Amino acid sequence: MFIPSKTLSLGGLLRRPESGTFLGLAVVFAFFTWFGGSNFASPTGAASWLNVAASLGIIAIPIGLLMIAGELDISIGSMVPAGSMTCAIVSGHFGLPIAVGVGAALALGALVGLINGILVVRTAVPSLIVTLGTLFAVAGLLLGLAVLITGTTSVSLKAGPEAKFLLGQFIGGIYQVTIFWWIAAALFWGFVLHLSPWGNWILAMGGDRVSARNAGIPTDRLTIILFMCSSMSAAFVGLSQAILYNSAQVSAGQSYIFNAIIAVVVGGVLLTGGYGSVVGIVLGTITFAVVTQGIYYTGFDANWSSLIIGILLLGAVLLNNTFRKMALSYSPKTGAGS
Amino acid sequence: MTTKTMMKAALLAMTTALGASAALADGMVAVVGGKADDPFFAKVKKGIDDATLVVEAHGGTVNYLMLQNYDNIGGDAANLVRTAIAQGAAVIAVPNWVPDSQDEAIKAAQAAGIPVILYNSGGGEKAKELGAINYIGNEEYTAGLAAGAYFGRHGRKNVICVNTVPGAQNLEDRCRGVSDGIVPEGGVSNQLPLPASSFGDPTAVAEAIKATLLEDATIDGVITISAGDANSAATGIEQGGLTGRIALASFDMDGAGLDRIKAGTQLFAVDQQPWLQGFLAVSMADAYVRYGLAIASAPVLTGPGIVDSANIDATLAGAAAGYR
Repeated sequence: MFIPSKTLSLGGLLRRPESGTFLGLAVVFAFFTWFGGSNFASPTGAASWLNVAASLGIIAIPIGLLMIAGELDISIGSMVPAGSMTCAIVSGHFGLPIAVGVGAALALGALVGLINGILVVRTAVPSLIVTLGTLFAVAGLLLGLAVLITGTTSVSLKAGPEAKFLLGQFIGGIYQVTIFWWIAAALFWGFVLHLSPWGNWILAMGGDRVSARNAGIPTDRLTIILFMCSSMSAAFVGLSQAILYNSAQVSAGQSYIFNAIIAVVVGGVLLTGGYGSVVGIVLGTITFAVVTQGIYYTGFDANWSSLIIGILLLGAVLLNNTFRKMALSYSPKTGAGS
Repeated sequence: MTTKTMMKAALLAMTTALGASAALADGMVAVVGGKADDPFFAKVKKGIDDATLVVEAHGGTVNYLMLQNYDNIGGDAANLVRTAIAQGAAVIAVPNWVPDSQDEAIKAAQAAGIPVILYNSGGGEKAKELGAINYIGNEEYTAGLAAGAYFGRHGRKNVICVNTVPGAQNLEDRCRGVSDGIVPEGGVSNQLPLPASSFGDPTAVAEAIKATLLEDATIDGVITISAGDANSAATGIEQGGLTGRIALASFDMDGAGLDRIKAGTQLFAVDQQPWLQGFLAVSMADAYVRYGLAIASAPVLTGPGIVDSANIDATLAGAAAGYR
């Protein structure tokens, strides 16, 4: 919870929960700058983790919001390739204009999100299980339809110049344009969560769903909308990857499930819900991207890379938790005035 | 605000202090490759590690950039090429699995003045088209033709080609080659594509193969695109009770596969000598960028070679040492 104070003090900033995430990021960044040298800390080095953070970030923020609201969505693992394959098949295989392909991919995302949301609110099945079912259903549908329509499991896509400019270009040859979409998404979701009434509703739902509904919050509608947003975001990342890399694969999204949850948890969102912030999620995404990409800039043998990634992520989360405990249990000294 | 500014300043100070000492020395050979726990790429990595001794004796370094998984093989490899550019690599060795996705990145490297050498996947034609130093590896389609013809000569008429990394150009070419190679011998071959998420999951692969074999009784041969999958296929065939009827073969091989060839339960393996691929890719790349040396014949083919009961003993010795 953000309680605005009259003056901006160092102590006040340190006690914000996101500072734990920021310090984790700073430590990890310093680690790789030390071992990776000037190459890692240069703008071209930054492109490595910014590109990874952008795709992961666009998905992680709605997933984080869902987690704050007390739900989990793992069907994004199939929605990413579904988005890219839909766009590639519609615009690459069938040759329709790219706008139709993009629209079809986003519509598929909305549909699957709608199904997820309705199943979660109407049945008593936990969202983890519902989205697990959707994960497999969409994966099977995708593989079956892909082989039926195209005879193979990867489709190439040659997008036109406008689509390439908006969704598929490498700015300066190194920065994916997805980074700007990520910044826009972060600003949008930051506004929703922190400055609009819906944000309060989401936090309330995560805290106690029954009380939230009794207080008049339309929990069902909000849940369905959040699921639709996360599926559409995943489909968006999928189609932008297809346009960026000129080809789509049937299985190109499984790692997003785990990575999105890691990014969100490192960013300070509680797995049990009711607590979190968009700034934290963004910082958590960057931390994850820095850890997984920075390893390439060090001279370490590639065989040890997974070990180092695991240790660094654990360290970042522990630092985060320590700071959150300190932030939540702080009480001002009496008589010092506030 | 003050905390953040202080931290930014500290980081800048640290960076400028380290500016002179890059962690990776001049003449860095960047190699993009598969996961280190993949049995095939483990042998490629051994070749790379052996060649690293030579590169380090010349005063250079080798940096192995590996994929975390094979879900998005083209996009991830393209990203790693760009990472290698950002690291200031002197030369990049990369397999061209998905040309649609990777060609742009390779051209970006060349535009940045970094020569590129292709290995393991891509073919001689692609290397010439991109202006790469060379291509070291198998011609996958030719390997498939050899495998299909071998099946046909041994009386197999219906062979399935199990592909657990669909979308990778080199593996698609293998299955296409098998399909074309068996036709002159009067047989037919179809591909069984399994989703890349089952790569490395032996149970999933074994069950899928067993189900396919039980469902179609006319199949009399199975060929897999990797040695690990051949192990799964052997399990699947055994579980289905079809060991005598189905001839098993694989592209690439490992210890278990060689034992099966010796015991007679596997017909043959197509060998592309992964150790040679890794070793030659790195040493040729280093020699080119450091001394301007280049092999005149292009492509440099490391396969296909057929390992069957005729030459199994010689192969077993190399396998024991981790080279085959």
